[in-house]
Amino acid sequence: AGPLDHPGYVKSATCSACHGFAGASRSDTMPVLAGMDAAYIKKALQDYASGKRVSPEMEPFAKQALQLGVDDVAGYFASQKKAPTPVTADPAAVARGRTAAATCAGCHGADGKGDPSKQIPDLRGQPPGYLRNQMMLFKADRRSPGDANLKAIKTLMKTVPDQTFADLAAYYSSQR
Amino acid sequence: AAAMQGDFMPKGGKRVVVVGGGWGGATAAKYLRLGDPSIEVVLLEPNKEFISCPFSNLVLSGVRTLPSLTISYDGLRAHGVKVLHAPAVAIEPEIQRVRVGEGFLQYDRLIVSPGVDFIFEQIDGAGQGERVVHAWKAGDQTVTLAHQLQSMPDGDVFVLTVPPVAFRCPPGPYERTSQIAWYLKTNKPKSKLIVLDANQNIVSKTGLFRAAWKAYPNIDYRASNKVTKVDFGERVVTTEFGDRVKFDVLNLIPPQRAGAIALRSGLGGDDQRWCPVDHVTYESTKARNIHVIGDATTGLPVPKSGNVANSMGKITAHAVTRLLAGKPPVPMPPGNTCYSWVSDREAIAVVNAYKIENNKVVQIEQKLTPAQSPQVAQNAVGWAQSIWHDMLG
Ligand SMILES: Cc1cc2nc3c(=O)[nH]c(=O)nc-3n(C[C@H](O)[C@H](O)[C@H](O)COP(=O)(O)OP(=O)(O)OC[C@H]3O[C@@H](n4cnc5c(N)ncnc54)[C@H](O)[C@@H]3O)c2cc1C
Ligand code: HEC
Ligand code: HEC
Repeated sequence: AGPLDHPGYVKSATCSACHGFAGASRSDTMPVLAGMDAAYIKKALQDYASGKRVSPEMEPFAKQALQLGVDDVAGYFASQKKAPTPVTADPAAVARGRTAAATCAGCHGADGKGDPSKQIPDLRGQPPGYLRNQMMLFKADRRSPGDANLKAIKTLMKTVPDQTFADLAAYYSSQR
Repeated sequence: AAAMQGDFMPKGGKRVVVVGGGWGGATAAKYLRLGDPSIEVVLLEPNKEFISCPFSNLVLSGVRTLPSLTISYDGLRAHGVKVLHAPAVAIEPEIQRVRVGEGFLQYDRLIVSPGVDFIFEQIDGAGQGERVVHAWKAGDQTVTLAHQLQSMPDGDVFVLTVPPVAFRCPPGPYERTSQIAWYLKTNKPKSKLIVLDANQNIVSKTGLFRAAWKAYPNIDYRASNKVTKVDFGERVVTTEFGDRVKFDVLNLIPPQRAGAIALRSGLGGDDQRWCPVDHVTYESTKARNIHVIGDATTGLPVPKSGNVANSMGKITAHAVTRLLAGKPPVPMPPGNTCYSWVSDREAIAVVNAYKIENNKVVQIEQKLTPAQSPQVAQNAVGWAQSIWHDMLG
């Protein structure tokens, strides 16, 4: 049985236009969904649909997923084999990022594995461009603006110089 | 073609023939094989390589090259799709055969995704299109138009004509306007671009294009100016009101209809222009066991876009797989995102999500990006990489 036999497939077929077949994104800007924690996917979709997490691309598709059955959609991507990004990172940036990542380890773990029980996402193998962009959005309070639960991460991001984001992104992206 | 005589590839088990290896057909062929590897899939496509229309407006402005939009069919072959580089000549619905070369292929189900053809006869002087540069199918035409634009002397006038709806890619002519205007502003500041639009206003993303064009005073946009005549000798186009407009370089985008093979095979609706289909299976309402997808279809609240054709390919592959296994099809809604580049580095987008209600496609929401930005352009690149791989990888 392949990805198309999962009951969530018929509710998720439109997503591969951006996130790749079965959530294995090929590009630097679109996050990998394959193997992502189901509860985190569900929360992200709810945040997009309500407009809390702002994305013109995701808002309509999140609403679609909620109408069709968000648990099936989240379950579909969560059940796929994790597929790290094919985008490669510069080893020197990875090394710098490893050092800089010490401040993030408290929440994301040393390698970026995250913690599903606290809905802290797994950063490993995500495309570097996507990770970097999300850090910039946190820093500018443009990802879920005003969300009280994200105060700590945003305060921390404000202390990180912009150039360091690329290093952090390279590091987490290169982890498996 | 010598080999294609009689029943040149006798059918063994279940077989689906796909006509057209563009956005709809390539996707359908791949997903049929993913869904049920016991189905033999034969794809008929005269072109040796796939060339993407999305991003081809950037070839005109020199921001992208055509080779960067060209993809091999080897990915489909690796999925077990039998790719035949030959056109379908005719369809015989009653006996479930497609004529190819001097022979035929038997099918259980047929998927037709022939894209659009041009209605040259609505433009007096266009003949059979011999001298028309439309660049509305990416390939040689794109290169020709890019060359004409890039080699035109500073001060010359570029005229772009937009046909009445419905046509392939509603925002396409306005993305092209933006790219040409950006190129002229940067490279030929004395030149201007006259846009003669048959429609009453910019058809898609109107406000966002208007905002983008504030940076391009070289655009002379004229709504409700339908071009009905062209004189290549005098280098003049004439509108339905008799206005004559001189051009140095002309990009004439002609009125469009479904690809000829679909209309010739009786799949056209009352308008004899586009093909009506079921909203769940994409089976033609005119012929059994034949499914039509992509730009050729009508009656759904969706734009004629590559993203929609890709959706339809996946949905139809799923439905056909189920039908051939004797199971009922599962309703699956399409989706759409159209990115448009308004300069060399900024883009805008329109996003449409749908659901199926009472076996009809219904829009849930349409959303526009709030403004043009480099981030949207980056997302456009990401979309292209992902969707090309989804089709052909
Ligand atoms: C300038 C431009 C920009 C665009 N930008 C975008 C964009 O950014 N995003 C987007 O989503 N869409 C965009 N589009 C629209 C998109 O290209 C079309 O909607 C899409 O190609 C439709 O897919 P299709 O399968 O219906 O047709 P096509 O992709 O055209 O495929 C049809 C195929 O059928 C083949 N064929 C025709 N007749 C036969 C026959 N008798 N036998 C065998 N094969 C046959 C043709 O050779 C062709 O390869 C753009 C279009 C243009 C022109
Ligand atoms: C047109 C492109 C596009 C389509 C189609 C699309 N997405 Fe997305 N998706 C994006 C972009 C861009 C982002 C990042 C947005 C941001 O900055 O928050 C994203 C982010 C996400 C995230 C958050 C990932 C994370 O790491 O936090 C999830 C989950 C998601 N998408 C699921 C889906 C699902 C499910 C579908 C289909 C029902 C879908 N997407 C369709 C473009 C798309
Ligand atoms: C206080 C806990 C905490 C700390 C410290 C923290 N994060 Fe996070 N991080 C989170 C949570 C929670 C989320 C998910 C937010 C959401 O649900 O929108 C997240 C999300 C992210 C994302 C987006 C991932 C995705 O898939 O969209 C990135 C990138 C990220 N963090 C990077 C970092 C980096 C780099 C640091 C250190 C500089 C850091 N984080 C420190 C809690 C933390």
